[in-house]
Amino acid sequence: MLKIAIVGCGKIADAHASEIQRIKNCRIVGVCDREVLMAKQLSERFPIDNYYTDLDLLLDKARPDVVHITTPPQSHFSIAKHCLERGCHVYVEKPFTLNTDEAMDLIKLAESRGLKLTVGHDDQFSHVARRLRKLVQDGYLGGPPLHMESYYCYEMSGAYAKAILGDKHFWIRQLPGQLLQNIISHGVARIAEYLQSESPEIFAHGFTSSYLRNLGENEIIDELRVIISENQQTTAYFTFSSQMRPALHQFRIYGSQNGLILDHDNQTLIRLRGRPFVSYAEKFIPPMIFAKQYISNLGRNIRLFLARDFHMKSGMKRLIESFYGSITDATPLPIQYREIILTARIMDSIFKQLRSSDGA
Amino acid sequence: MLSDSRQCDPMIAYDTQILITGARGFIGKRVVARLLEYGFTKIRCLARPSSNKSGGEIFTASEFEDPRIEFIEGNLLSREDCFKISSDAQIIYHLAASRGEKSFPDAYQNSVITTRNLLDACVQHNCLKRFVNVSSFAVYTNQDKPKRGVLNEACPIEKHPAQRGAAYCYAKVKQEEMVIEYNKKHELPYVMIRPGVVYGPGNEQIHARVGIGTFGIFLHLGGSNEIPLTYVENCADAIVMAGIMRGIDGEVFNIVDDDLPSSRQFLRLYKQKVKRFRSIYVPHLLSYILCYFWEKYSTWSHGQLPNMYNRKVWHATWKKTEYSNEKLRERLGLMQRVPTDEGLNQYFESCREKIRHA
Repeated sequence: MLKIAIVGCGKIADAHASEIQRIKNCRIVGVCDREVLMAKQLSERFPIDNYYTDLDLLLDKARPDVVHITTPPQSHFSIAKHCLERGCHVYVEKPFTLNTDEAMDLIKLAESRGLKLTVGHDDQFSHVARRLRKLVQDGYLGGPPLHMESYYCYEMSGAYAKAILGDKHFWIRQLPGQLLQNIISHGVARIAEYLQSESPEIFAHGFTSSYLRNLGENEIIDELRVIISENQQTTAYFTFSSQMRPALHQFRIYGSQNGLILDHDNQTLIRLRGRPFVSYAEKFIPPMIFAKQYISNLGRNIRLFLARDFHMKSGMKRLIESFYGSITDATPLPIQYREIILTARIMDSIFKQLRSSDGA
Repeated sequence: MLSDSRQCDPMIAYDTQILITGARGFIGKRVVARLLEYGFTKIRCLARPSSNKSGGEIFTASEFEDPRIEFIEGNLLSREDCFKISSDAQIIYHLAASRGEKSFPDAYQNSVITTRNLLDACVQHNCLKRFVNVSSFAVYTNQDKPKRGVLNEACPIEKHPAQRGAAYCYAKVKQEEMVIEYNKKHELPYVMIRPGVVYGPGNEQIHARVGIGTFGIFLHLGGSNEIPLTYVENCADAIVMAGIMRGIDGEVFNIVDDDLPSSRQFLRLYKQKVKRFRSIYVPHLLSYILCYFWEKYSTWSHGQLPNMYNRKVWHATWKKTEYSNEKLRERLGLMQRVPTDEGLNQYFESCREKIRHA
């Protein structure tokens, strides 16, 4: 039985607690937050026996095997480092750290202590994301990816967005990459998973949308376009937008033979056949194939729903399960460390370019 | 001076420092206006910087320039801000809240942590004469009361608010507990205000007590139930009086108007006066059964569907219930400023305007 602790009792901690409680052979032994009332409310609702306001007290008394860090990103590095030094495996919510150096330091520390680390890129473990990964591994693309497109949009509405816009001291504004840093890692990590090199070329262009400018907001960049290129072979586009509709969360990947389109919102995976049909057949047969694929996706989603395996955060459950499996059964880590570092490196480069273009 | 119709002997002088949190909100701005009307001269208004950023200015320029009003932008999550804004405040109208928040931690943070911070600051300043905590009907369980029973201030509140599956209910119950705890520990005087469904220009939604449009078509769930409406101006009257009336410390007041329409009457008027749309009436027995099965499915599926419709919600929202404002009339001596017919007309006009400008 793995003993689990959660540090940071805000919104995303609810999702962690819910998913952990659906996993066998583990138990949440304590939660911790600097604000005692936040720790108390989480422990009351789930319910969890112990809550703490001091990290050392949590580690001393509850003695967890794994710590989930769900605090704002500014504290990820220091808390993760401390937990690793105290002998705990660590699951860090996204974004993993504030920069690549911190990410590398944590990974080195974990490796030196024989401990495991992962990051909360749970979208990559949704049902469709796993199907896509399997198809790519089975060679459906016909070789390594030639081009990828990742869309990760965010609607600037709701209480959360209002809080960001209204409060000049809101914690997201204090991040090096501000709003982008807290959101884009899901979309960037999808690309990083299929890149081979350590340092691809990155060209970033970002700006504040006219919607935000009209509200008097000039600091937050909410429109971002990125081109990524490695070894004159694989390229990728990353798009983040707060204004385009539909607000896509899509990943497209193309090889030399075929392509795939993953739609996270609809939980659909569409195969794109590379070889065209002859003459007018190209106008009639592909739409039929697409229709069949969408119906097949619908059927699959219904079956998963009926089997009680279609939760909004089902990817998180799968990621946590795989991570725990890597600890208890020595199975491979669900997210490779090189992918975590590469995601951090791409994000660092994006923010650096945005800062320099802002300064220029 | 208090207006003729509402003469009372306030427990504070007219130049007493008053603090209003959530002062830019739907009710808060009316509370400010009423205090000015009554003749109070030191009104400090706290509003979050993000309040109504996209909704236009709530206060007129002349109100901003009114020397009786001191505007402060601040965040109740900051203890420093709480300490600063509550200094010298003898009456606090605590209206700041998170409406419509679905996340439990966020609702809790914005209702309970903020209230705790403010109460702590009051303990430090040691000059508070009354803390008017604006809560909600959402705190009542309504579960063990017989059908058609009267919901009044003596009715029990939800013992297990998390099981209701509504973040707002959970946060409001915990907020009330916090206020009572500070009263017991530090003898901080308070009055608890629980408004029903506050309606009027600025809040044009059809309340869930009438029905819900979640599933594409409007499900009319209220049927012949009374809707516990209170027009926003009437609600503001009651809140203001709860802060200045003598001899009501520790009391709870429900706020509902007279002549409450049934859900069916309300919906019919809405369709006549605002816009026509299709709705399906769901009888009470059927809505109870649906809530029962939703609750069971949510548990069985480990939350694949969130537990947002359940028997607790049904009892609190759609069970046949009558409402009383007897205590409000007797103890606060309040007469309804805006009659319900007129309030509804103004509300429907505001709904039409909103649709025109959508």
